[in-house]
Amino acid sequence: MGLEGNGARPAEAVNPAHIVAVRDFSPETLAAIAAQLEASTDFEHLVYREAELDAIWSITGFAMAQAQVGQALPPANQEFAARLHAVAHRAHDLVGECRPREAAALLREFL
Amino acid sequence: MLSREENELLTRTGPGTPAGDYFRRYWLPALQANEVPAPDCPPVRLRMLGEDLVAFRDTEGRVGIVYEFCPHRRASLFWGRNEECGLRCVYHGWKFDVNGDCVDMPNEPPEYGFDNKVRIAAYPTQEYGGIVWTYLGPPERVPELPKLEWARVPTSHRYISKRRQETNYLQAIEGGIDSSHSNFLHASVEAFRAAPDYLEKIKNSPNLRARYHLLDRAPRFTVKKTDYGLAIAVRRNAEEDTYYWRLTQFLLPSHTMIPYQKGNSINGHCWVPRDDETCWVWTMSWNPEAPLSEDEWKAIREETFVHTGVDPVTLRPYRNKDNDYGIDRTQQRNSSMTGIHGFAAQDQAMQESMGPTVDRTRERLGTSDTAIIAMRRLLLQEIHALQERQEPFAAHHGDAYWVRSASTVLKRDVAFDEGARGLVAAEV
Repeated sequence: MGLEGNGARPAEAVNPAHIVAVRDFSPETLAAIAAQLEASTDFEHLVYREAELDAIWSITGFAMAQAQVGQALPPANQEFAARLHAVAHRAHDLVGECRPREAAALLREFL
Repeated sequence: MLSREENELLTRTGPGTPAGDYFRRYWLPALQANEVPAPDCPPVRLRMLGEDLVAFRDTEGRVGIVYEFCPHRRASLFWGRNEECGLRCVYHGWKFDVNGDCVDMPNEPPEYGFDNKVRIAAYPTQEYGGIVWTYLGPPERVPELPKLEWARVPTSHRYISKRRQETNYLQAIEGGIDSSHSNFLHASVEAFRAAPDYLEKIKNSPNLRARYHLLDRAPRFTVKKTDYGLAIAVRRNAEEDTYYWRLTQFLLPSHTMIPYQKGNSINGHCWVPRDDETCWVWTMSWNPEAPLSEDEWKAIREETFVHTGVDPVTLRPYRNKDNDYGIDRTQQRNSSMTGIHGFAAQDQAMQESMGPTVDRTRERLGTSDTAIIAMRRLLLQEIHALQERQEPFAAHHGDAYWVRSASTVLKRDVAFDEGARGLVAAEV
C-alpha cells in the first residue's frame, strides 16, 4: 500500500492540493495534516485529507494489530496508537461531513 | 474506510433505497441490441436494480422492458409468446404491450373490460450504440442519454461485451478506477521483478504503460470534480525531466475508462447493479479513428485483456469462482502474477474474493486509494443531494460525457490540464 502521494511537502509548506506523505504517525506528520485540514475548502482537498486520515487510521491499526500478536510497542506507544486510531476515525468522519476545521481541532487537541 | 451506514447507503440499490433512487435518474445499459435481435423474437429475462423484468422486441421493432410477472396469477412472462405487438402470458392468455398495458384478456368476459384497467410496470427504452438502454425512474424526470464516444462510433469500430459478476456494483467500480493494482494483478512475473535485463528490453517500448509503470510504483494522484463526475490523473516519474501521466474518468453514475494511448483502442466499462450482490459488467473497446484491428480482435477472441467468455444464457463467465477462475499455478510460478488468464478474469477473481459486499469498515486504505475515496465521496454527495430534491446535473447534460481517457508524457514543468487538453476531448 502506498502511503505517499502528490509529492510530500514539509510541514510548513501548506498546500491543500498536495497530499501529505504519511510515513508514520509522528507529531510532525499529524501537525502537517492538521495544517492542511485548516486550509482545505474544495471537494478535492477534502478527498486528499480523507486519504491522509485513512492512512493514519490504517497504520495505527497495523501497530495495534502487531501488539496483539506479541510484537508489542512500548506501552506508551501502544496507548498513543490506540488513542490516535480513534481520533483519526473521528477526524475522518468529520472530513466526510465537510467539517475539516473541526477535524483539525481534534488533531491539534490530540497533539 | 466507510461507516457501516455509508456502506449500506452506497451499496443498496433496490426500489425505494437512496442509491436506488439515484441510479433511477439515469439511462442505464440493459441489453445488447442483439439479445432481442428481431421483431417478435423470444423474450429475455433481465434483472436490474433488484427488479425482475422481461425484455422483448415487438412486431414493430420497439423494445419493451416490463415487470416479469403477470398480475393475474404471477406466472413469469419469460415463458410468454411474443406476438402481434405484445407479450402474451401462456398461462391464461393475458397480453401486454411495450407500455405495460394489458391489451387482451381472453379468459374474462369482454363486458368486464378488465383489459382496459390492468397494466404492469414498463420502462422506456432507447437503442444507442448497439445497446438497449432503459430508464427506471420517475416519468417526469426522464434524463438525456450520455454522449459517450463508444456509442457514437461505427459498429465496425467497437466491440461490447456483457458479463455477470457476483459482487455489488461498488467494489467493481472501485477496481475500475484503482490505477495501482495493474502493476501487480495484471503484471507478468518478469515485469513485476523488473530485473535489469527486462528494463533494458522495454526501455524503448512504444507502449508507455509498459515502459514507465515499473519505474515508479507509488504514483501521485490528483482528482478533480467535473460536470460528468471525476477526472482522475495519476503521475509517475518517467525520464529525468518528464512525467508519465494517465488520466481516467469516473462518469456518473457508474461509467469508467481505462487510460488510452493514441493509436490503440480505448477501453471502458459501465457497472450496473443487477441486485445488491451481483452486477452487470459492460465492457467496451473502441477505436475512434478506424475499425478494430486484427490485433485488437485477437485480444478479444483470446480473452487476454478486458473481455472474457461467458455462458450465453446466464452471462456468467466461463472462468468463475466454481473453477477457481482456471488458475494455473505453474503459470503463476513462471510467467503471470495470478496464473489466471485475462485481465477481466483476474479482476473478477479479486473482486469476488472480497465477498458480495465488502465490509468497508474493516479495510485499510492509503493515499494510493485516493481515486476510490473520491468516487465514494462524490456518490455519497450526489445521493444526499437527491434526497434533498436536487436532481443530478450529469443526468440532464449528455454533452458532459464527451470526454476520453488519455496517457501521455509531459515535461515536468507542464501542468497536466494544459499538456493533455487536446487529448481528453472525445472526437466522434
